[in-house]
Amino acid sequence: MSSLIKLVRVTAPWLKKNPSSLISVRHHWNKDFKPLPYPKTFEEKAASAERYGIPLAEYEPYPDDGSGCGDYPKLPLEAVEHRDPYYPWDNPELKKNYNEVLHDEYDFIREDRYNVNYKLHLPLSILVLQYVSVMGGAYFLYWIFEYVKAFHPVMPPQLPKENKVYYTFEKP
Amino acid sequence: MGNHLNGFKLYFHPEVTPGPKEEPTFDPLLGFPEGRKPREMKVTEAEMRSAKLPLRDRDFCAHLLIAFKDCRQREMPFVVKCSHEKHEYLNCKYEDYVIRAKEYERERRLRVKREELKMRQC
Repeated sequence: MSSLIKLVRVTAPWLKKNPSSLISVRHHWNKDFKPLPYPKTFEEKAASAERYGIPLAEYEPYPDDGSGCGDYPKLPLEAVEHRDPYYPWDNPELKKNYNEVLHDEYDFIREDRYNVNYKLHLPLSILVLQYVSVMGGAYFLYWIFEYVKAFHPVMPPQLPKENKVYYTFEKP
Repeated sequence: MGNHLNGFKLYFHPEVTPGPKEEPTFDPLLGFPEGRKPREMKVTEAEMRSAKLPLRDRDFCAHLLIAFKDCRQREMPFVVKCSHEKHEYLNCKYEDYVIRAKEYERERRLRVKREELKMRQC
């Protein structure tokens, strides 16, 4: 144990000076991840398109409205869940190829997060009708049996009282 | 008897269907030329009060309930020895329920008969 601590003490200053030598992505961020400023000239646009590996005709950056996306391409918003599971992806668990440009909201549209292209299995009107009919049917039963209560078809309990004679059905 | 939706009967035909809280309205000896045997109470009010029976249990089976409770107290904790007393008490309660059901059915049939007579007179 002491030798381990000694090793950390010896290596710590050097690691502090060169953090990228230990891990390439520290604090989930890397200067290479940062997009360039918004492309204003045609040359800048072409360079950005080449940087992201997208044909220039399809390349379209996010609008320069202060969101900080810079020259990052605006990709179509398609849920990862809708990608082909049988395609030989480089990362089959993420359905993603190596060096693939990811959507800006990739952490949101991932398979384990949210399906932005979710389709209902039936029209919404039918689903609402199903809900209303089931709940309404249950409420109707509740409502009708508030007024029409079932009871055991017997007379009230026969508790002996003064001046009150109860009879059996036998002959005396 | 055996009609679990009798609430609808009571709602649509209240004149021939006795309600759950109604007492018999006809003469109890009507249609019994030889008369009927009255039910007899085998314990007195004072005995039931002494046994601290709840008011709802002071019916025609009270003497068996008193015997059952007495046995339980005597045999505690081996209350399984009181199964005979318990069986007798529950049988008595069952017979009591049957008498109440018969009274209900008698009341209902007499009401139906009365309505039929009314229709015939019209």
